Amino acid sequence: MAAVAESLSFLGLTPSARDPATAVRRRNRGPRNRKKGWKRWAGPEARLGREIGDFLEDVTLQQRVAGGLIAEQPDAGLFFVDTGNAEKGRKRKNKIREKPLHIDLVLQPDSKVPPPKDILSHQIPNGKKERRRRQFWERLAQRGVLPRAERRLQTRLQNAAAPPRGPPREKAPEKGRVDPGRSFYDIWADDNPLERALVGQDSWFLQQTQKQRVKRPPRLQQKPSQLPAVEVIAPGGSYNPTFEDHQALLLKAHEVEVMKKRAEDKVERQLRFPTAAEAPTAETVFREQCEGLLEESEGEEEEEEEQKEEAVGGAQPSDPPRPPLRPGKKTEQQRRKEKEARAQELRRRQEKAWRCRQQQLFRLRSLGRQLRRWEQELLRRRRAREAKRREMEGRPRRLGRIKYEDPALEVQLSDELAESLRTLKPEGSVLHDRFKSLQKRSLIEPRERAKFKRKYRLKYVEKRAFREVTL
Amino acid sequence: MGGLEKKKYQRGSATNYITRNKARKKLQLSLPDFRRLCILKGIYPHEPRHKKKVNKGSTAARTFYLLKDIKFLLHEPIVNKFREYKIFVRKLRKAYGKSEWGTAERLKDNKPTYKLDHIVKERYPTFVDALRDLDDALSMCFLFSTFPRTGKCHVQTIQLCRRLAVEFLNYVIASRSLRKVFLSIKGIYYQAEVLGQPITWITPYAFAHDHPTDVDYRVMATFTEFYTTLLGFVNFRLYHSLNLHYPPKIDGQAEVEVKPAEGKEYAMDSESYLEKHKKLFEGLRFFLNREVPREPLAFVIRCFGGQVSWDKSLCIGATYDVSDPSITHQIVDRPRVEQQVVGRYYLQPQWVFDSVNAKLCLPVADYFPGVLLPPHLSPFVTEQEGDYIPPEKLKLLAMQRGEDPGEETEEEEEEEEEEEEDDNDKDEEEEEEDESEKEEEIKLKKMEEQKAQSNKALPVKVTAGKVRLEDKQRLEQEQQSEEKRLAIMMMKKREKYLYKKIMFGKKRKIREANKLAAKRKAHDTALKEEKKKTKKARRA
Repeated sequence: MAAVAESLSFLGLTPSARDPATAVRRRNRGPRNRKKGWKRWAGPEARLGREIGDFLEDVTLQQRVAGGLIAEQPDAGLFFVDTGNAEKGRKRKNKIREKPLHIDLVLQPDSKVPPPKDILSHQIPNGKKERRRRQFWERLAQRGVLPRAERRLQTRLQNAAAPPRGPPREKAPEKGRVDPGRSFYDIWADDNPLERALVGQDSWFLQQTQKQRVKRPPRLQQKPSQLPAVEVIAPGGSYNPTFEDHQALLLKAHEVEVMKKRAEDKVERQLRFPTAAEAPTAETVFREQCEGLLEESEGEEEEEEEQKEEAVGGAQPSDPPRPPLRPGKKTEQQRRKEKEARAQELRRRQEKAWRCRQQQLFRLRSLGRQLRRWEQELLRRRRAREAKRREMEGRPRRLGRIKYEDPALEVQLSDELAESLRTLKPEGSVLHDRFKSLQKRSLIEPRERAKFKRKYRLKYVEKRAFREVTL
Repeated sequence: MGGLEKKKYQRGSATNYITRNKARKKLQLSLPDFRRLCILKGIYPHEPRHKKKVNKGSTAARTFYLLKDIKFLLHEPIVNKFREYKIFVRKLRKAYGKSEWGTAERLKDNKPTYKLDHIVKERYPTFVDALRDLDDALSMCFLFSTFPRTGKCHVQTIQLCRRLAVEFLNYVIASRSLRKVFLSIKGIYYQAEVLGQPITWITPYAFAHDHPTDVDYRVMATFTEFYTTLLGFVNFRLYHSLNLHYPPKIDGQAEVEVKPAEGKEYAMDSESYLEKHKKLFEGLRFFLNREVPREPLAFVIRCFGGQVSWDKSLCIGATYDVSDPSITHQIVDRPRVEQQVVGRYYLQPQWVFDSVNAKLCLPVADYFPGVLLPPHLSPFVTEQEGDYIPPEKLKLLAMQRGEDPGEETEEEEEEEEEEEEDDNDKDEEEEEEDESEKEEEIKLKKMEEQKAQSNKALPVKVTAGKVRLEDKQRLEQEQQSEEKRLAIMMMKKREKYLYKKIMFGKKRKIREANKLAAKRKAHDTALKEEKKKTKKARRA
């Protein structure tokens, strides 16, 4: 009964046992490998486990050594009678003794357990099933029906026998807008392929389903600049120009060069350091500082005198007798007086305004003249603004960091002019000219080539070995 | 203060504009893609009038776009194609990196592409709008067709440009619409009149190639991409307006005459002068030597009805050989020609272009090989009165009017006495251009002197009358000048002052023109002296 109870409790079949399906986590009280954990090994379950383990190990050892449980072995297998043939066997042993080598002995299997036999060497898994399948297909083949793989292989071989068409591409790549052989159609006709799909359908429907394109705003029909797209070069740019035209063009180029030279000279002048002769000495500095002082010194004295007179004159105001009061507090009289003064002031101003308005009637003509003059001034300002705006429109707009710069004039010097069309050396590049023309008309913003900027400064270091080399 | 406070930069012009980076982020595109989109759609940056307001107080130079323009761009279906292309590039790079060649091939087969037809229709709702923008498109296409076929820009683009350029030239030949040609040091300028619109474009010389480094090729390639589409559609329409079949069959690079399917060959203009101009080279057969630029010359000659051919080894399309007896003009550019066939004119190429500009076949003597050519004048210059007109142009105008200046020129060069006369002539011309007032004064003085003389003594005689031919023009001129003087007398003081100022300005222009003429005279006399010296040296 105790053993049953023990086993039941061991197997967890008591009523108080937990359902092993429910996962319960006990509270971790510190690390797992503590001394407390040694209590595990003390329990009956652990002891039983150890005993089973020992038993099984014992059994396997017995099997290895004796080929089975020792208790079941016959006596002959375990014991032998020692007859003792030491002298007889010595000679024989000396002659015939061929003890096998130790290494060969060590390599022999020392377990009495026989190795498991390999059944696959004489058995085919699913052998019967495979045989039946083979027989089935042979029967079909006799009738003429082949499996799919065979059929496909045969068709491929037949196709290969035909002349090959090159690497077969399932789909040719679609060429878009740069296909040299593309076809065009009349896009301005009423029935063009673009709008054929949309004919006859409701415009609201087309709008909502985004089949119809959004209308282009009319503001975009105007170009940013009214300059012509292709500006013909001046007549002096002809390959065989007249003398005057060529001179005129050379003059223009010359002016551009002169401007550039002037700008350079200006910068150089500003940066020039004075030579020893021009350097300012103490005397020149003193003279410079005294300039204009000597003449004005008389004027200053006069002014001083005037100021003194005024100061004297103004220092005699007469104070009216005031009754002694707290400073800052006004008496009733004063308040009344101030009020009256304010009222009078107001009345005076009102009267003046009324009188002015009355008199303006007689000033009508001059008032009219004033207004007309003001209007003319406004008109003049408006015209000036409009003229300025029109002038700005003609120039290329400022769109971005880089300003537009006119391209260099293409002109050939008098000795570079060609004598015939065959010896002509073209000047300038049409690509560059088109690019600049696009910028001039404000179609693109002026761009320059991106420079390579280093984030960190380059450091040059010479190896020690190289430094020691002296030439 | 009651009510909500108004914050700055939250309404008005500050909200109408958007910076480039913000616009790019709104569209979720990279910067090159954004630029491409703006170029294709024709959206340009704007310069706001009050930059400080728009830039929220700072004056940093930023690129601004109108917010409404960017909102309009959001509806464009091409934007999705750009994003798909970006993804395609990423996948392709991965496949190459992993050496998955099968994947790479498959991706390349399904490369996303787009077409610009709807943008062309949207930007140019009518055909005339498209014609107005054709200048730029033609120049770009001609420029790109001369690029070398290295990998720098797509070879397909170059091929397409070449094809469209040749088609357009064919149209101009078939419709005889070329009007002006100008050879400059930069390139060749042409002007044609298509359906009433003058279209000017420039073609670079075939042998000029310097690739400037400060040009953004991507931007130019985007423009070209759009312009090729536009030019293709325009070509289609133009060909149909002439009842020609599009696309024409052109073998190789030759410009072959397209036979019209039915109906007229070129648009009829009612002016007979224009008709004569269009038939300038009709009936003439030209042969181009190897050293002359073949394409421009062939194009120009064909435009005016002439027949042209060249050496077979140069290019396909040569119809007759150099030994053909029916050739009337041969264009050479060498200093001397060895074997000259009788009955053929040997001319330098400038003759063709000058004749086209002058609208008549110029006398060939000036253009023989080895002769110093007259200058090539620009037909794009319009002279106003008072401006300096070079003597070559005067000669040309005279020839156009029908006078023959040939004899005058010969006399001038041979005899020295005539030189003085010429000087006098020139002076007289200048005087005529001057104010009539001076003349009147001189005349009055003369008359007074005569009167004084006659008053003194002399017996008066009656002689037979002479028939005086009334020069109507002269009379008209005199009347006009009298009226002018009367008007001047009747002006108020203030107006007279202004008038004098204006006339002073005009006189200054004329004085400058005279200065240039004097310079030219000095130059010419120097040349003549040199010639005389050489002649004397030769005689001695």
